[in-house]
Amino acid sequence: MAEATATETTNEEWQPKIVMFCCNWCSYGGADSAGMGRFQQPPTVRVIRVMCSGRMDPVFILNAFLEGADGVLFSGCHIGDCHYVNGNYKATIKYKFLKAMVNELGLEDERLKLDWISASEGERYAQVVTEFTEQIKKVGPSPLKPEGVI
Amino acid sequence: MDIGDCYVGWATDEDIRTRGASGGLVTAMLAAALEKGLVEAVVVLKKLGEFEAVPIVTSDPEEVKAAAGSMHSVPIVLSRYLEYGTKVALPAKPCDARSTIEQAKRGQVDIDTTYIVGLNCGGTMHPAMTREMLETVYKLDPEEIVGEEIDKGKLIFETKDGEEHAIKIDELEEDGYGRRESCQYCAVNIPTMADIACGNWGVIGDLAGKGTFVEINTEKGIAILENAIDAGAVEITPADEKGKAIRAKVDGAMMKVAAAADKKYLSPIEGSHLDYYINALSDCINCGACKTVCPVCACGEGAKCTEFSSSSDTYKMSLFHLVRFVHLMDSCIGCGQCTDVCPADIPLTHIYQRFARPIQDEFEYKPGMDMTTPPFFGVDLLEEGH
Repeated sequence: MAEATATETTNEEWQPKIVMFCCNWCSYGGADSAGMGRFQQPPTVRVIRVMCSGRMDPVFILNAFLEGADGVLFSGCHIGDCHYVNGNYKATIKYKFLKAMVNELGLEDERLKLDWISASEGERYAQVVTEFTEQIKKVGPSPLKPEGVI
Repeated sequence: MDIGDCYVGWATDEDIRTRGASGGLVTAMLAAALEKGLVEAVVVLKKLGEFEAVPIVTSDPEEVKAAAGSMHSVPIVLSRYLEYGTKVALPAKPCDARSTIEQAKRGQVDIDTTYIVGLNCGGTMHPAMTREMLETVYKLDPEEIVGEEIDKGKLIFETKDGEEHAIKIDELEEDGYGRRESCQYCAVNIPTMADIACGNWGVIGDLAGKGTFVEINTEKGIAILENAIDAGAVEITPADEKGKAIRAKVDGAMMKVAAAADKKYLSPIEGSHLDYYINALSDCINCGACKTVCPVCACGEGAKCTEFSSSSDTYKMSLFHLVRFVHLMDSCIGCGQCTDVCPADIPLTHIYQRFARPIQDEFEYKPGMDMTTPPFFGVDLLEEGH
């Protein structure tokens, strides 16, 4: 195990692990479009589908960090396009709270991001993922990562 | 009688007037509310010793009268002891009143049947700390104490032999004694959010020490005071402008002291925040007492903080605490109970305030101040017009 870690850090560039929450109606479709359109993106993201960005509970994000995620992205329909009328407004409010909390906790500001991606924006999806991965690579592994988790 | 009116009042009953603080107005008012059937129950403090009291719910006017006199206590989770909709009168420090309003916002307490009789508060002291302070700083036997008073910035204890022992509060707090830390930086001294705000600040002239200053804040405040006057339990006289000015001045001075304490205790953490929090919470034994006593927590059984967290987790921080941090950001009133009950002596109130202050300042939102602003999620959606 220790050997594997060593080779990974010396021979290859460190790849962050990112948890991404996508809403069923827009962003998850956006991920599909990105695949169908063959837009290149780094393989750092693990996508979890939720029905609506408004379903995003602070617990999910906090748990992702505690489990060892280096960054958390969450994404939903553009403002005004929510399948459930105002779910994404609720997401913005929770995001404000989480952002303030993560900052006070001492995690880097860059580790949490909210972005809107619609089902047709495959290219944008790939772009958001690429940019976020670059961002996380700059700040390095999360200090909340448990022992033994790569 | 109108909202905003100020009076000075006292109990007509000789016994209540002498035993109660500042003329016994509050005791008389609460007893009259019970006797006349305005309320079904009253929350009073039952004395356990010179330094300690527990809140009890009673329907016996005699028990209310027996509880006359001021004491140190902490907010209670009203909803846990009374059925929703019970007509109840509650003497309340600002933090008691604020916690009750926060419970009402979350559907735990019916604010329309809860009469909050506010009491001015300059801070409370922890019973165990008071005993220790008496032994080490005052060099007195705690059992010998019969009275306690704060006057001109000095904390005065009276012993059985009638002698008074005074030490400056500033000096005591410098050494880590005195009021609870959360009380030191609390800037809410006059319970403007309560139905009626009572206290001895602003009582001057002949009435000093014999009357209570009363400010009417709501219709319910009018009801409970008029009820007591009709019952012949209290007498009032309009407060003069000079008294009002003095009351405001005392409040202003207390706020300045609080602001200084705020700077002292809540200045930004030096070094790594994460290390500070991991270190501070590493002593946690997962007893859950902080959540049990929290007067603004309305989740009850099966709350997210406890359900998603397990003592077998090997995380660097407990999910329990992280969820509590988020949940308290829009509701922590800084009452200090979590710190009091923590068996591992974790400064929880301090930590919760660190998370809550920035966001409460950003949104200019003070929890528990009135019923018109719902918890945050509601506010923002209403403002955005959705």
